[in-house]
Amino acid sequence: MKREEFLARVRGAAAAGRAYRVHVRDDIPARVGYVGAGPNPAERLAAEMNAVGGFAQLVDSEEAARAALAELLVRYSPKSALCWQHPLLERLGLAALLETHGVEHWSHDLLAPLDQPTARAKMFAAEIGITSATWAIAETGSLLMAATGGRERTASLLPPVHVAIVERAQIVPDLFDAYAQLEAAGVENLASNVTLITGPSKTGDLELKLTTGVHGPGKWHVIIVR
Amino acid sequence: MTDYAVHEHEEFLTAADEALADPSLQSALSMLADTLGQRNKDAFAELSDSGLLRDRARAIKDATLAELDRHLETLEASVNRRGGQVHYAADGADACQTIAGIIRAAGGRHVVKSKSMTTEEIHLNRALEAEGFHVVETDFGEYILQVAGQRPSHLVAPAVHLRIPQVAKILGDDAGEQLPEDAEKLAAYARRTLRKEFARADVGISGANFAVAETGTVVLVTNEGNGRLTTSMPRVHIALLGMEKVIPQLADLPVFLKVLARAATGQKLSIYTSMITGRRQPGELDGPDEFHLVVLDNGRSRILGGPLRESLFCIRCGACLNACPIYRNIGGHAYGGVYAGPIGAVLTPLYSGLTHHPHLPHASSLCGACQAACPVKIAIPEMLVQLREQLHREPSQANRVENAIYRLWAAMLRRPRLYRLATWLATRTIGRWPGGWIRHLPGLGGWTGARDFPAPAPESFRDWWHREGQA
Ligand code: SF4
Repeated sequence: MKREEFLARVRGAAAAGRAYRVHVRDDIPARVGYVGAGPNPAERLAAEMNAVGGFAQLVDSEEAARAALAELLVRYSPKSALCWQHPLLERLGLAALLETHGVEHWSHDLLAPLDQPTARAKMFAAEIGITSATWAIAETGSLLMAATGGRERTASLLPPVHVAIVERAQIVPDLFDAYAQLEAAGVENLASNVTLITGPSKTGDLELKLTTGVHGPGKWHVIIVR
Repeated sequence: MTDYAVHEHEEFLTAADEALADPSLQSALSMLADTLGQRNKDAFAELSDSGLLRDRARAIKDATLAELDRHLETLEASVNRRGGQVHYAADGADACQTIAGIIRAAGGRHVVKSKSMTTEEIHLNRALEAEGFHVVETDFGEYILQVAGQRPSHLVAPAVHLRIPQVAKILGDDAGEQLPEDAEKLAAYARRTLRKEFARADVGISGANFAVAETGTVVLVTNEGNGRLTTSMPRVHIALLGMEKVIPQLADLPVFLKVLARAATGQKLSIYTSMITGRRQPGELDGPDEFHLVVLDNGRSRILGGPLRESLFCIRCGACLNACPIYRNIGGHAYGGVYAGPIGAVLTPLYSGLTHHPHLPHASSLCGACQAACPVKIAIPEMLVQLREQLHREPSQANRVENAIYRLWAAMLRRPRLYRLATWLATRTIGRWPGGWIRHLPGLGGWTGARDFPAPAPESFRDWWHREGQA
């Protein structure tokens, strides 16, 4: 249908519909629905993540975070990893750690030179995804992942195991705060894909029994450096 | 009633009877209500002012719809700015053609879909298959239904009417091997099978839970991650948007997200909430090269300009289904339309014509549980009553005996002497009816078939008052 015709019809309908507007009270406080994180956001974040079926681990230093990550590499012994390029992961020495454990390391700079089919095949084949996050939301136990070159959306999606490492400065108390951050960065700069992840991939489609990992990662680990 | 309507009406009654006699469906439905209903209550308890938050969501919907044309124009400009294209579709056929055209122009053949009731509404799969495209539903429940050739029976749990052994049989027959009757293993089978489809698909089609006008963002809420795969792996992403899903700003989104998942499944947030803005940006290794947004009217503008406009506030959470005593007994299929439950009883007649679905406005006890559960507080019972009223004004729907009785009743109420005479007569004749209930009324067999009519009392209140009340 022609655009003008379509919009004209909507314009007429919207105008006619104003006779039927509903009455809603006008004294709703600005922060209604704000839950917040309580006195200890990092602990709240971990608790919420565990409640939705994730495995959150609080650690006190980057040293300890590296050890926790190493332990996961031993537990899952993946052949290849799909990784974000992120300052926190660099500080942890991710590349060297993967090498020590004999895990193939795939990230943006290594994938970009490959032809598309080969790069895609590497992404599909990865057995673990290792990322940080843009923000972590304590109230809901979520990671906010804004995609850019180097922080691919597939790293937290294709492999059966996803490990994210976040630090205290990345934690915001409430969902409202996360959106305030996105707005502060300028809505016209919104990433092509921003995904909130709150738990391992789940389905309740069979008799409402919760089954994990049907499409996305079935194992979801978050290491929180407090 | 027209022949067609009689047919639909009979179909509803038969389907409802069959559902009531199906023990496995009955147990699935009661599980649904108990599990989701309770989770929903627990999750809302945490929001101290959930009532006010729901009012805010409602206010945003109301204000946006009042200027929907302007918000659509803003949305279009934002999508264009991010390298996407907007298409407008007046009805289902128009939308199907538009989408087929986009796929053809992109040289696509393999299509993956994430769950979208709006694509069900326009029967997109059938249209695309007729064009020779290979279409695969990737939501686990929808995939099972596609293989089985069935329709969804619930907004968020589409295959809730099937038990695990039935699913193992459906998928096993399709795979040509025996599959274990085990939820985990069946899910793993689906993951393997569907990964191959994601790897080769050139087009991904999704719906949209919301669209943010100021940023040109479509929002997808899923639990499995198939929505993310559908919109990230193929080189073309097409989103079909019911035009009422627009919200003005990014800041409005958390208001809805906070109530949507709580109402739907009792989660604080669904596992994945994706905000997709246009095509991939330079330097990104994944995401589509092309982004198309198809904006669908399909009867919505007709509703927008009328008294039932509030039905467009619906965010398709499914809470009213779980709360409804009728739905919990007859399941989703009996409703006959794409949208089931209380809101389906409003939407289906609105979208495809009241005279085709005369039974639906009556498939409710008007108990109000739906409105109480609704995250945007839609006045569903009131709308059902309005539809019933409209139905009575349809000449093709009128029952002559019923109308004559109402006319007589109205005339009597306007004439006190006549009214007194009538009650005097009634108390002395059928007022003495044995048992106090009349099981059959001549000419109203349809009404008394499932209900008894209360006989008048042996003495009228007026007489009693004259005798006793004045002492
Ligand atoms: S009417 Fe309300 S409760 Fe029912 S699906 Fe829509 S938003 Fe949810």
